Amino acid sequence: MERKRGGSRRSYSGGAGGMGGGGRRRKAWTEQCKDYVRNFVAFMFSNIGIIGLVIGYTIAGSFMFMAIEKESVNTRVDQVVKARNTTVANLWQATCCTINLFSEETWRNTVHVELLAFQKSVVNAVQNDGYEGEQLNGNRWSFSGAFLYSLSVITTIGYGNVAPRTEWGKLATILYAIAGMPLFLLYLSNIGDLLAKSFKWTYAKCCLCRGCARRRRQMSTANNCSQATGSDSAGAAEDSCSSRETSASASVSDDDDDPQTVTVPITLCLAIMVGYVYGGAVLFSRWESWDLLDGSYFCFISLSTIGFGDIVPRDDKITSLQGVGLSFIFCSMYLMLGMALIAMCFNLMQEEVVHKFRTCGDVLRRIVRCRR
Amino acid sequence: MRESGGGGRMARGSARSRGSSTAASVRSSNPRQKVRDCCRKLVAFMCTQVGVGGLVVGYAILGAMGFMSIEGHVERPEIEKVAQKRDACLGDLWRVTTRENVFNKTAWQLGAAKALKEFQDGVVTEVRAGYDGRVQGDSWSFPAALMFSLSVFTMIGYGNMVPRTTWGKIATVVYAVFGIPLYVLYFMNMGKVLAQTFRWLYTKAYECSMEDRRRDSDSEPARIIVPSTACLWVMGAYVATGTVMFAEWENWNYLDSTYFCVTSLCKIGIGDFVPGANILDSRSGHQTKLVINFVYLLLGMGLMAMCYNLMREVVRVKMRELKSDITFCFEDLRLRAVACYRRNNAD
Repeated sequence: MERKRGGSRRSYSGGAGGMGGGGRRRKAWTEQCKDYVRNFVAFMFSNIGIIGLVIGYTIAGSFMFMAIEKESVNTRVDQVVKARNTTVANLWQATCCTINLFSEETWRNTVHVELLAFQKSVVNAVQNDGYEGEQLNGNRWSFSGAFLYSLSVITTIGYGNVAPRTEWGKLATILYAIAGMPLFLLYLSNIGDLLAKSFKWTYAKCCLCRGCARRRRQMSTANNCSQATGSDSAGAAEDSCSSRETSASASVSDDDDDPQTVTVPITLCLAIMVGYVYGGAVLFSRWESWDLLDGSYFCFISLSTIGFGDIVPRDDKITSLQGVGLSFIFCSMYLMLGMALIAMCFNLMQEEVVHKFRTCGDVLRRIVRCRR
Repeated sequence: MRESGGGGRMARGSARSRGSSTAASVRSSNPRQKVRDCCRKLVAFMCTQVGVGGLVVGYAILGAMGFMSIEGHVERPEIEKVAQKRDACLGDLWRVTTRENVFNKTAWQLGAAKALKEFQDGVVTEVRAGYDGRVQGDSWSFPAALMFSLSVFTMIGYGNMVPRTTWGKIATVVYAVFGIPLYVLYFMNMGKVLAQTFRWLYTKAYECSMEDRRRDSDSEPARIIVPSTACLWVMGAYVATGTVMFAEWENWNYLDSTYFCVTSLCKIGIGDFVPGANILDSRSGHQTKLVINFVYLLLGMGLMAMCYNLMREVVRVKMRELKSDITFCFEDLRLRAVACYRRNNAD
């Protein structure tokens, strides 16, 4: 492979050297075509492309699951009806033929056993088969429900309030997850990188009030950073100092001060995460009339991809003009944005934690050496 | 990643300091030195694989006990309500029996069906309000609580058992906050160790098979990269083992069993199939099943980490090859276009 590539490059350079000036236009055309294809591929792997890809994959998955699971709704209603009819037949058999009707106690005991069995089957139908009573069935696999299901599969949240019942649905879930999870990981790493970069830029520009003043100060007193940042606020002073220490030479040699060398403090990342969870809790508790604890429990369980599925927003709270339930869509948007934000926070915290670890190790080593 | 880096660095640092301290202890073996050395060894051990595995298991057991004590003794009014509804249904049926004549089958069955329908609607309402079909104290047994805490910190989240109390919810959140980093540490460590072992085994096997074929030809000492198909075979074999195991125990069919294994190992955890959680056949043996499921899942997570570790390398190499392929392709295309143009120009 390596040899082949080298050979081709050599022959290409020879051909390009031998080519006259008249070939420039056509060469530009091929260049353009190549650039176009390369741009397209780069775009598909860039941020907007990957967002589109994830959303498109989710929408395709939701249509697929809707089509697969449409038939399964009627069968579970039939199952419950069948169980009830069986129970009635059993009771009739017991009442008319086997039991003496004059002892009420015996009759009651027998019927109680029968009723317990019936109750178990009803509980099982509701819990495991998604039976919701006879009048309101079939709304679980609406478009928005299937959308939330597809998203919960590829994000590995897995609420489980909606689960496939048919054989093909289960098979499709396995394949869909195997293909979708790498895609979502790609989304997380890409968007996390992007958000981390933009957040660092914003932090450097706004919170540390960096501009030309900082650069001048940095140029003049690059080695004496404690004095230079003495005028800053106390919290920001240490961070800017440490970041400048770690990359002093690099940022001085740049003509523009690089916001990517700024280290964002860990507490800010934690505050962002807690704030996002709290904001979601307030939002959901207003929509769904949960209390604040339930709301934050839901947000935390969802964003940490645990996803118990005991508390899930109802679909009919927010509806569009056509009557399509939108709250699942809002929930999905909240989740996608939130997971990207968490990826961003981990991205930002990583270097800080490594730095802290190293400092801690140094301090420990110094203490041990001192005592000896 | 950062946890594994931290652990590795700590282990390395302790190894180095252990070497220096053994050199020092030859000179003077004072007790303080010994204690410090002991502490350091303990910390280094806790950051190794066995220590992390033990830490994870201990954390799970601790969590199980905590959740049992929080959730186990909670008053559950819905059980009482369901029992009341059952009694009411029983009364209805008795009334139907006494009112209708026993010899009129259709009338009796109509009345009984109506009573049962009411009862069914009541049960459905209660289940959606949180009734789970278990009696008091049965749901938070020790293996079930162990399974719950595992499903929290591995981020599987089956959802067949959930905390109902306020304190249970808060404890779950706190438990997850501390448990998830610990689990990630386990994942990374276990993945590294298993990947090393597997690579060593694969290299040995490869060398053996090569020696049989061509003993005299000189073998290049290049590092052998485990192909991704080998990882996939291992994963497939693990899933197949789990499939057969759970299908035999739970009387699931093979598709359901595969579905359970894949969704659990991918940490999706939809929770419609959980071993030992079916209320229809609650036999006495389901508690050991839960424990074996626990072991299966922890080992499976380690295997997943191993495959992730090995595949990353392969994927990186493949991506590089693909990239060079594509550039080669483009240059070939361009050359051809240039040649075509020149031929056209010459004509």
